[in-house]
Amino acid sequence: MERNLSDGSNAFGLEPFPRMGERAVVLRAEGLTKRYAAVARSNSTKGAGASVPAELELFSELDLTVHAGEMVAIVGESGAGKSSLLHLLAALDRPSGGEVWYGEERLSGMSERQASEFRNRRVGYVWQFHYLLPEFTAVENVAMPLLARGMGRKAALEQGCLWLERVGLAGREEHRSGELSGGEQQRVSLARALVTEPEVLLADEPTGDLDGRTAEAVFGLIQKLHLNHGLTSVLVTHNLEFAERCDRMLRLREGKLIDTRAS
Amino acid sequence: MRFELFIAIRYLRAKRRQAVVGVITAISVIGVAAGVASLIIALAITNGMRRDLQERLVGSTAHVELMRVAGDGIRDWRPLLARLRKTPHVTAAAPGLYGQVLISRGARSGGGLIKGVIPGDERTVGDLLQGVSVGSADGLEPVVSETIQRSKHEAAGAVTARKGRSAAEEQQVSELGDLDVRQDPAVQAEADAQAARVLAAVHPVPPIVIGKDLAETLGASVGDTLLVTSPQGDLTPMGLVPKYQRFRLEGIFKSGFYQYDSSYAFLRLADAQRLFNEPDLISVISFKVDDLYHADRVGKVLEEAAGKGFQTTNWMEQNRELFRALKLEQVVTFIVLALIVCVAALNILIALTMMVMEKTRDIAVLMSFGVTAAQVRRVFLFQGLLISVIGTVLGTIVGYGLSWAGGHYRFPLDAAVYSIDYLPFAPKVLDAVIVAAVSLGVSLVATLYPSGSAAKVLPAEALRYE
Repeated sequence: MERNLSDGSNAFGLEPFPRMGERAVVLRAEGLTKRYAAVARSNSTKGAGASVPAELELFSELDLTVHAGEMVAIVGESGAGKSSLLHLLAALDRPSGGEVWYGEERLSGMSERQASEFRNRRVGYVWQFHYLLPEFTAVENVAMPLLARGMGRKAALEQGCLWLERVGLAGREEHRSGELSGGEQQRVSLARALVTEPEVLLADEPTGDLDGRTAEAVFGLIQKLHLNHGLTSVLVTHNLEFAERCDRMLRLREGKLIDTRAS
Repeated sequence: MRFELFIAIRYLRAKRRQAVVGVITAISVIGVAAGVASLIIALAITNGMRRDLQERLVGSTAHVELMRVAGDGIRDWRPLLARLRKTPHVTAAAPGLYGQVLISRGARSGGGLIKGVIPGDERTVGDLLQGVSVGSADGLEPVVSETIQRSKHEAAGAVTARKGRSAAEEQQVSELGDLDVRQDPAVQAEADAQAARVLAAVHPVPPIVIGKDLAETLGASVGDTLLVTSPQGDLTPMGLVPKYQRFRLEGIFKSGFYQYDSSYAFLRLADAQRLFNEPDLISVISFKVDDLYHADRVGKVLEEAAGKGFQTTNWMEQNRELFRALKLEQVVTFIVLALIVCVAALNILIALTMMVMEKTRDIAVLMSFGVTAAQVRRVFLFQGLLISVIGTVLGTIVGYGLSWAGGHYRFPLDAAVYSIDYLPFAPKVLDAVIVAAVSLGVSLVATLYPSGSAAKVLPAEALRYE
């Protein structure tokens, strides 16, 4: 399954992919470490059954470099820390150590407000579940990030309509999430992630909750939008077939990120 | 529309996954409305009661009373009275002579406060004489017969002739009658003295009008003779002998105020002067002013106009304790009823806390695309305030509606118990503003915790276990 992409062609042969060395680095993680505080039972001198804080290390000293226009897949077993890694890349969580850079910008140097603005402008995030807000229509869901940054309602909804059209849901603007199928919900969620025209798309198992055909359609859409909008994408997936079709496939195993095609 | 408000309104309108949140939200709105409505109604009633009491009290008594600082009485009062009547904002003025006495009828007796008055003047500054329910106060009138009227005019004629007035002027004075005679203090002094002499001859037992409760204490009814004993007695070889005099009970008044009904007694000014051995002396000049809330200011002006050695009191000073008690009652009512709003605010707190718990995932999603913690806090703050605003507006409408209806369709009360035969409503705009502000303020405090906890949601944590 693992193959060398040193010839510069991309995984699904849509366009010749330039060598990485020619492209700017968009996203860079250095020495990234994530530990969780966990409470464990101890039989130490404090007495049987006393609770002492223990730490669970998901990964440590993890490095990752993603170039402009690249589509990177991260695979790994459940619980390996793939989603946690994506959260760190999206500034949704703070690392225990290490640093994430977007160009010259350092995530750990950001205040809460700056991190919010970063999430609103620089990255688009897609979850495994669509997580659409049930009280709002499809177009309102899509326009929500624009409304949150203070854009006028009319302009935001226009953008929302445009993006619904781009994901193939023209005419479904006024439908609520309960009135959409699983694939449609995920398309709306994709439109919501991209409506802000971010440079990086982060997707956490975007097809994980969908059946085969729908998953294929959604993944195809992600690929298309990635190319058409010059995105840089990092996808976490369990689907090795989809991962194969990305420019690079990285495996997160025992806290380390291994480029499967380089080996 | 602001983003946070847009979300808040939609959350409020949307069908809840947990029906209980919707129910608690509805209860919160109703609770706030009930609290606000009852506050407005209760304040309207206390205002109404206060207004009614004040109207009756202020009607019964003078707005301002002028007296000597030394308490030695006002001599030569007619020119002073005439001059002070012309003071701006003064609408009426009347002389009066106060004195403490013991009033007895047979074996029964009671302390009384005599006020010697000229009824025509007294009626312009106080309603007590209008409140005569048994008998009448007519007996107090100095002008009771043609004889007196005639003698007054004769006296007036004599004085004006002495002053060298023409026959035409004299005629005019006679035609204008009693009121115009009073314009010249010298004329009136002589006229009154002569009238009193005539009156004494006509009515050997002078009249008295007393309050209802005093009459009950004495067991007296109209027509009875009462013995009034003054401590300012005559000095005789036997020592100081209290002066006493018989009066015929002509009328019994009822003001509804115990302090007046239980001790006040009215005499004709001349009779009171005779009783207290104070010829042509008065102790106070009572005034009515055009704006009773400026009584203190007018009092100051009158003090200055009267000259050195005079002081004034006004109705506000005299009844300060009563109004302070009413104010306290109103404050206590407000606090007690504000507790309803607090309970409603507690409902808001519960509804919002449950909503935040229900919406944790959505909050995390909102944050994932850049909604700030401050925006999330405001979403729930607005939601709490929306509940409060809707409740407050509903409560204000209901409260005002019922207060208006209560004022329009009078709610009957037992006058014997409450001394008023209907429940008075006087809703005030300022009260509504204060009630609304309190309601919104308390609700705002209730939203602080849930909105704060919403802002503390960590997106990665919240979605990790979904």
